[in-house]
Amino acid sequence: MTNCFRLLEHIADMGIAAEGESLAELFRQAAFGLCRIVTVSVDIQPKTELRVEIRAQDREELLINWLNELIFLLESRHFLPATFEFDSLTDQQLNARVRGEAIDPTRHALEREIKAVTYHQIVVEQTAAGWRAQVYVDL
Amino acid sequence: MSVKVEQIDACRWRIPREGAMRTEGLVFADRQMMAMLQKEQALEQVRNVATLPGIVGPSIAMPDIHWGYGFPIGGVAAFDVEEGVVSPGGVGYDINCGVRLLRSNLTVEEVRPRIELLADALFRNVPSGVGSRRRDLKLSSAETRKVLIRGARWAVDNGYGSAEDLEHIEERGTIAGADPEVVSARALERGRDQLGTLGSGNHFLEIDLVEEIGDQQVANVLGLFPGQITISIHTGSRGLGYQICDDHLRMMQQAARKYAIELPDRQLCCAPLASPEAKQYLAAMAGAANFAFANRQLITAWVRESFERVLGKGPAELRISSIYDVCHNIAKMETHLYQGQKRRLCVHRKGATRAFPPGHPDTPELYRSVGQPVLIPGDMGRYSYVLVGTQGAFEETFGSTCHGAGRVLSRHAAKKLARGRQIEAELAARGIVLRASSRATVAEEISESYKDVLDVVSVVQQAGIGKIVARLRPLAVVKG
Repeated sequence: MTNCFRLLEHIADMGIAAEGESLAELFRQAAFGLCRIVTVSVDIQPKTELRVEIRAQDREELLINWLNELIFLLESRHFLPATFEFDSLTDQQLNARVRGEAIDPTRHALEREIKAVTYHQIVVEQTAAGWRAQVYVDL
Repeated sequence: MSVKVEQIDACRWRIPREGAMRTEGLVFADRQMMAMLQKEQALEQVRNVATLPGIVGPSIAMPDIHWGYGFPIGGVAAFDVEEGVVSPGGVGYDINCGVRLLRSNLTVEEVRPRIELLADALFRNVPSGVGSRRRDLKLSSAETRKVLIRGARWAVDNGYGSAEDLEHIEERGTIAGADPEVVSARALERGRDQLGTLGSGNHFLEIDLVEEIGDQQVANVLGLFPGQITISIHTGSRGLGYQICDDHLRMMQQAARKYAIELPDRQLCCAPLASPEAKQYLAAMAGAANFAFANRQLITAWVRESFERVLGKGPAELRISSIYDVCHNIAKMETHLYQGQKRRLCVHRKGATRAFPPGHPDTPELYRSVGQPVLIPGDMGRYSYVLVGTQGAFEETFGSTCHGAGRVLSRHAAKKLARGRQIEAELAARGIVLRASSRATVAEEISESYKDVLDVVSVVQQAGIGKIVARLRPLAVVKG
């Protein structure tokens, strides 16, 4: 399996389809997909590390809460993530180290504002080759 | 899989009750719209809403409907206060996203020579774009809490506008019952420096021209005349509202399990209106709605300031005043007559507008003889419409009508269509000045992305759930 993501079409918004060899890789790819919706900039330097702890009732909610946390960092802390490392990840909790930098308007063109990640047609499931997820965001 | 529909008449379709549906669906659309709807998920969502407990009347869909999350965009559903539920997905993430229409004493001849300067001033004075925030208006948590309780009244009390403005806003700009204590710290943080900002996506600030009057008598009451300059503001509760919705979707997932409510879609999670979870959501939702009313009131103040500075005229000469300010995403406790009985209902309008008739006590006194003004924005390249509410809407759709044009193209498809084109130049050739923070947003918001709003309001008028008063043409558009 290739660790990857692609963006999904929606009449008003966008979605992310992610694949990963492991649950951690899946969550990483979904995060890359989220960042790609926000910006096409690739020059995001891993200058600062933030620690993120997320809890949820189930795997789907965990993914939603994880991605919503990244939206909060983008919007309210003006932080653009570059890399994601997971110290622990189960069906109901994760501890991650997110490295990135402050948004620099001269280098980072922000294309879209994400309101939130939705429960619409959410999928987080194991496959023969690893894991796959599908999630839609409200723009 | 297409949803079974039965045509009632030229602009009404029934989704028959079957399976888990507690009621039928009622879709306002013409034949062409229905053909398009059968290709996407919106009708399935209308059907899903019909399964929710305590629904009164049909699950309703407006002609600008398209698929959303849980409820479709353009969906209306009313629930009994004793037996029914409230669903955050029936309001949406952008709580009280809405439109305010301002009138002025200005004519297009006076404004056109300075339209570029006006557009520049609005673009400068009202932050727009992804993550737009204000550095000059950063509120403390305590002050933000006051905004949540008082709404537009907070803004007026702090020098942004006058008491007269409040008379021409839905709920007079304050929904009662807001409780900041049930709003999370995260929501407060997200909203703190976003009050007085436009945001991005389909939000906009527009200078419009009254191009055509459809009903002169009603236009006179609304204070509209041909060639007049009006200003439209489309924005909502920003990050504060989005976070409140997200927080409460999480809570409602658990509530649906607790109250054994079967959900065809997780995004329809809900709780009985009498439950503590529902009361908490409604109190938080009211706070977000008030934040949005305050947002549009502040933006109104900066619009006035921009016009005064650029045109060198004072407020008495410009007479920029609110015609009306309507919510598009909200749940309201209202009294309606249903099957001959007065019922207290929680009416969800998601991408739909309240459209109260002449004579209704909640229709402002100035408009009580003609009906509540309804503002229906189109896309940035064509036109918008002003309507008034009707008795037909009150009887058939719990006093509701459409809210806009509704998308027909995905963002990806729109960007593809816009590739290689100079959208700003295309608009300029049509006499429309554009100021935008994001080229991507402009591409995604091209006119072809949307239905022709004339088709939408034509269905509304034909169905008797709104009456067309005037057409507005954009002269300048500010987009995030």
